[in-house]
Amino acid sequence: MKPVRALSLVLGALLLTWVAQAAVGYWQVGRLEPVLNEDTNLTEPPVPSGLAHTGARVFAAEGCLECHSLSVRGPAGSADLTRGWGPRRTVPRDYLFREPAMVGFSRIGSDLSNIGARIPETEKLMQHLYDPRLLKKSSTCPPHPWLFTKLPAGPKPEPGALKVSTDGWHQLIPSYQAKALVAYLQSLNANYALPEAPLK
Amino acid sequence: MNRDHLPQGSTAALVLILGSLVWSLLGAGLQLLATTQLLVPLLDRLIAAPWFGYGRLVPASQFLLSYGWLGSGLLGVLLILAPRFSGIAFRYGRLLFGGALLWHLSIFGGLTQILLEGPSGLVGLPQPHFVSILLILSFLVLGTGLTRGLGRTWKSGPLLPRLYLLLGLLSFPLGLGTAELLLRGTSAPGSVQIITQLLWHSFHQHLWLAPLGLVLIFQLLPTLTGRAVSSLNLGLLAWVATCLLGGWLGTVRASDGPIPSWMQSTGVIAAMLMGVVALGNGLLIQNLTEGRWEEARRNVALRFIAVGAWSYASAYLLLAFLALPWFRPVFAFTVGWTAFFEVFNFLFLGCVLAGSIYALLPVSRDFGWPSSSALTWHFWCTTLGSVTTASCLLLAGSFQGLALNDPGVPISTLASYLRPFLFVVIFSQAAWLVGQIAFSAVLFASLLKLFPAAAPMAVFRNPPVVRPASVGHLHG
Repeated sequence: MKPVRALSLVLGALLLTWVAQAAVGYWQVGRLEPVLNEDTNLTEPPVPSGLAHTGARVFAAEGCLECHSLSVRGPAGSADLTRGWGPRRTVPRDYLFREPAMVGFSRIGSDLSNIGARIPETEKLMQHLYDPRLLKKSSTCPPHPWLFTKLPAGPKPEPGALKVSTDGWHQLIPSYQAKALVAYLQSLNANYALPEAPLK
Repeated sequence: MNRDHLPQGSTAALVLILGSLVWSLLGAGLQLLATTQLLVPLLDRLIAAPWFGYGRLVPASQFLLSYGWLGSGLLGVLLILAPRFSGIAFRYGRLLFGGALLWHLSIFGGLTQILLEGPSGLVGLPQPHFVSILLILSFLVLGTGLTRGLGRTWKSGPLLPRLYLLLGLLSFPLGLGTAELLLRGTSAPGSVQIITQLLWHSFHQHLWLAPLGLVLIFQLLPTLTGRAVSSLNLGLLAWVATCLLGGWLGTVRASDGPIPSWMQSTGVIAAMLMGVVALGNGLLIQNLTEGRWEEARRNVALRFIAVGAWSYASAYLLLAFLALPWFRPVFAFTVGWTAFFEVFNFLFLGCVLAGSIYALLPVSRDFGWPSSSALTWHFWCTTLGSVTTASCLLLAGSFQGLALNDPGVPISTLASYLRPFLFVVIFSQAAWLVGQIAFSAVLFASLLKLFPAAAPMAVFRNPPVVRPASVGHLHG
């Protein structure tokens, strides 16, 4: 085989792979548009807030993906729907406004595609971030105390202070990152139907 | 060719190889720490710092092992091999040296950023944007050096290593460059970003690292055994198949995931076919190594490369197994996939890299290996450690997958299914680390000539004098 032929074969194969996946993929799923819900006049999937967008970066930076996935599968060959991790399987359109788009390939913990609907309360999510064992004794999820500031307790608790018992002299104030992360988790709500994925 | 003609290129190779050893120790250390955290979650509570979290240790160790250890090491040994391919010395040695330093600088930058600021969350791209740019720049410098004379002397040596080298050298800058552009340079829709991540993951594993490993297998195995590749046509077929199928293998992990279904099916078919390709290459390896096990027992370079070559076939057969429709749902999202990466990175690429260093570094730096017992420790600790880790993770993955697919099993108990296996994995990962420490110690001692060399080439017990890695052949 001559070097020029080998070179063109390699370049051709690499180009073919790229075109077939990235370009055809763009043509097929990159041009998808959100669906307008005529009852609420909002798009589905909804556009996340700026805070939730920042929260996605915090989610990535804290390495949550090493234990949690963001993709519900099924119904065939998977118990995700039976476990109540989502009302339907996740499809490419769900990721339209996600930046960065994260899937996650590990499940030491549960899938979080629909965590915003499963646990909507801000306080609960904040407590889980501070120390997951406050809510569930057997949790193996690591705590994230660095997302909170410990301040001396005043006569009244600061607005947004966590309702957890500390040593009595301190209160825990969520940082901007904690608020952003919680906003992101709350934005993970798949309780809407899409043409290609109706609710079960 | 006289070694003295290549002082600067040789220095760049040495810098890459020594750096790769340092990154391997650090990466394996972080990996061990992460596994320990998974087994004992209390550790997270003792040291409450973001950089110590499991979510940062895992991507940091993966980055170090992939780009730092395997990337640097493979480039380093190829810098020694390339001038012997072509018979043409490097002209701009200082530039190569600068490229090698830049490569390590970017690894250091990536490590500190992942630990301190956190990973990016993208598959195969945990490092920040600027680190990728530095990696591409340094790779362009090193890759240009590696291609020097490749075309002019195309017909003067074995063809398969050259073909795989061409594939490996082109796929890294093309893959990483375009992935960075689509993922962080433009605002591609999230649905396309997922496909792009999987595509880069395939390029990185199967079109960059694997071909570089195959260059060394098909160059050094014939040299060390004194046999030629039995069927060039079969080798060419396997090479063409690798070029065409390698880029699709990442989509296997996303089967039933949020990518178009035809991509999932193509990925699964590609994985099956790659199993056949690996069997084809396995036939060539079988013919090269058949009846040479006694020699491999004495010659540590041959031994490592032979184990690495067989692990290449095993890794792709394991991938085909994981892609089978009956097992895919069981192993999805489990540590069973980590078992595949263990075989791929540690047994295939790691063993080929170690064997190549044993064979080539003495040729380049004119020294011998001083202690045969340390080399024995290196071989057994690393190979047994990796085999045990992979087996445990595969078993653990099957339990984890069965538990995940049973809605009656609470998710909070999932970690308890992994614990017995993780306990063994910690010891086997520690064994690998011990082996690598032994290797590093011997290598540094040899380079500094702290001990008298027992033999010019690595040997095991009762060493007969072995010619230093058939240097004449390598000089091409």
